[in-house]
Amino acid sequence: MRKKKIMALMLSAALALTTIGCGGGNNGTTGESSSDATQSGSQTADAGAEQSGVTLRFLDVSPSETRQKYYEGVFEKFKEETGISVVYESVPWDDAANKITVLGASDQLPDVLTTHSGWLGQLTSSEWIIPLTDYLGDSTEDYTVAVNKLFWQSEIDRFGDIYTIPDGMMVKGIFVRKDWCEELGIELDPAKGWTYDEYFEVVEKLTDVEKKHYGVSYRGARGAFDPLMTYLQNYTGGNTYDSEGNILIKSDECREAFQKWTDLYRNGYAPEDSINWGFTEMVDNFVGGLTGTLMNDSEVAPTCMENMEDDQWMVMPVPKSEKDGKLYNLINGSYSLSISSDSENPDAAWQLIEFLARTENSSNYCRLSGLIPIKKDAAEDELYGEGGPYYTFTMQLNDPDLVVPATIGAFDYTDMHQGVMHEEIQKYLLGDIDADTALDTIADELEIRMKKYLEEHPETSVEKALVMQ
Amino acid sequence: MSKRANDEKRAMGALSRRRKNMPYYFMLPVLLPLVLLFGYPLIKSCIIAFQNYKLGNPDIYFNDFENFRKLFADRDFFLILKNSLIYVIGSVAGQFFLGLGLALALKKKFPGRGIYQSIVFLPWAFSAFVVGLLFRWSFNGEYGVVNDLLLKLNIVEKGPAWLGTPGLSLLVVTIAMIWIGIPFFGIMILAALQSIPNDVFEAADIDGCGIFRKFFSITVPYIKPTIIITILLRTIWIFNSFDLIIIMTEGGPANYSQTLPSYIYTKAFSAYDFGLAGAFGLMLMLILGMYAVVFLKISNYEEAGDF
Repeated sequence: MRKKKIMALMLSAALALTTIGCGGGNNGTTGESSSDATQSGSQTADAGAEQSGVTLRFLDVSPSETRQKYYEGVFEKFKEETGISVVYESVPWDDAANKITVLGASDQLPDVLTTHSGWLGQLTSSEWIIPLTDYLGDSTEDYTVAVNKLFWQSEIDRFGDIYTIPDGMMVKGIFVRKDWCEELGIELDPAKGWTYDEYFEVVEKLTDVEKKHYGVSYRGARGAFDPLMTYLQNYTGGNTYDSEGNILIKSDECREAFQKWTDLYRNGYAPEDSINWGFTEMVDNFVGGLTGTLMNDSEVAPTCMENMEDDQWMVMPVPKSEKDGKLYNLINGSYSLSISSDSENPDAAWQLIEFLARTENSSNYCRLSGLIPIKKDAAEDELYGEGGPYYTFTMQLNDPDLVVPATIGAFDYTDMHQGVMHEEIQKYLLGDIDADTALDTIADELEIRMKKYLEEHPETSVEKALVMQ
Repeated sequence: MSKRANDEKRAMGALSRRRKNMPYYFMLPVLLPLVLLFGYPLIKSCIIAFQNYKLGNPDIYFNDFENFRKLFADRDFFLILKNSLIYVIGSVAGQFFLGLGLALALKKKFPGRGIYQSIVFLPWAFSAFVVGLLFRWSFNGEYGVVNDLLLKLNIVEKGPAWLGTPGLSLLVVTIAMIWIGIPFFGIMILAALQSIPNDVFEAADIDGCGIFRKFFSITVPYIKPTIIITILLRTIWIFNSFDLIIIMTEGGPANYSQTLPSYIYTKAFSAYDFGLAGAFGLMLMLILGMYAVVFLKISNYEEAGDF
């Protein structure tokens, strides 16, 4: 009996704890998956060119057949020009943050990696990527004003240097069911724009539960706080903290805005299931005809073009603030290119990034991914001009009222983003807690972390909202 | 005693020791990988549980019981613990009773039994990912087949948001888990049923035993060892499983379908807090260890199957 007990104990212990202990192993399969990807995307080394023997590893964090085909083609051209071979590796987006963390912790990051702005806090604080300011030099002038004034300025403010080159600009807009609006006599004009109250009114009008029409693709799961935060920043001048690190989203105006936003769900303008929706569900249900509006990035446009008729959808700009009439829109690079500190050939890696950022290559890439190009001379493309499907997005970039709100902070808040930020809102939506408790719990934790960050980094100043003009 | 006799005695002793140790040498090829693949992660996890260990933060140090303080201070800890118990008890009970029913139904020969058996055992061959997607879509609040049926049968006026409602989301995950696990119990119990000698039942028939008397006095005692070990194993497996939950609800809404392992996974691989995840893991190990001891004790496993 004693032996059986011991065996049972050992069995349960082993099974329970290997969940954690072997967890690294799960992530440790990066090498394996990379190797798989490597085989499919690898290109042979060139012996003849000046840089013969140099082989770079490139990591794509959002792989697809189209992207891989694009990269393999462009790497082939790069090899012809420079003699440098590039090995294409990929990791599925859902696992990307984990894999990069594991690779970084084990000093195995590839030479060039695509990253997401949300990861930069961790990547820079861990010194897993190197600054690119010196490499860029005067060539910054070739890039659009938006890249310089919004994207890079934000990196300099937060991290003290430029660390990444965006692969294109990601601008948010409101995708709207044009046919539903026409049916209901709702007139929308992208050039005229709208305010948040007007937007909420349209959402209400579009909702018809009998017809299974809901006004909005509401994001209730991970990432739920992101669009809400931008809305709250309409009442803080686009800032998150004051100069001492006190959070600004606890004002009465912000509390009211918090309720207005969450009322979209509470009033039944979104399906009940949407409390668990992330990006995929939001897009699927807009394209599939369940919801009438969707706030998201320009990257959704190709999906709409592919799956919907032209007269079914349109894009409106992000609504302007009721308070000051400004257009608060989060402008980001979709993914951006960076050089890892593990790279043994950072100069060759930079050559590759420069090559990818060339107007011809960059424009081709942006067409695939629904992005706004990063070089000035690419803006003449008819796709992005008046009448083109991306016009609303480029128009916002030129709006004198555009303000890019400050980010949450340069500190690591991954755990909050993956937990408390959406869980608190969910609890409020379910009636477990009140709105003030939900907002205060999130805001107080952010304030604590921000103040701690400022204490630990006395040389850092609090990031402010960025304006174009 | 002569020197020769002493030498012979020593030689016999050495031979006896070698024979005694022989089984352990045979077990070494299995034991070594086990120690490496299970022992190391086990010990490492125990150590991590007492460390400030965040992936990406090079500052790793022992922080005494800080992770355990955080664990008990976690506002959702008791909700998650409650969910875990409901999930495990509901799943194991559902799988056992339905699996037992299935095994009893398949015990007697009937035309097409082979094909029927293959079909009902099919869920065991599906990956949790496929099953998760299948149930996620079936229980979709707007398009799901379940709500469609409930509406058509006039059972409800408005289809519930299964995956977005506290309580229901955990119920759906439990139903999916029951569906996957029925064949396991079915296969194991059927094998045990088929090993019961037929003459025992014939003797019972002669003695005039009814169907219930035969079931509780013959069938159950014979298959008791199988029942005990399958329930024990399945409980541990289900308690440790998190794939279905991650695929179907990601623990939502607001952690109402979160269980200990899925929470550990979230803490480790979304928040990268391996220290806290290790503490949760250690807690899970203690719970399962206690369960194993108590279960074996109350089920009287040692005497099970003795006639």
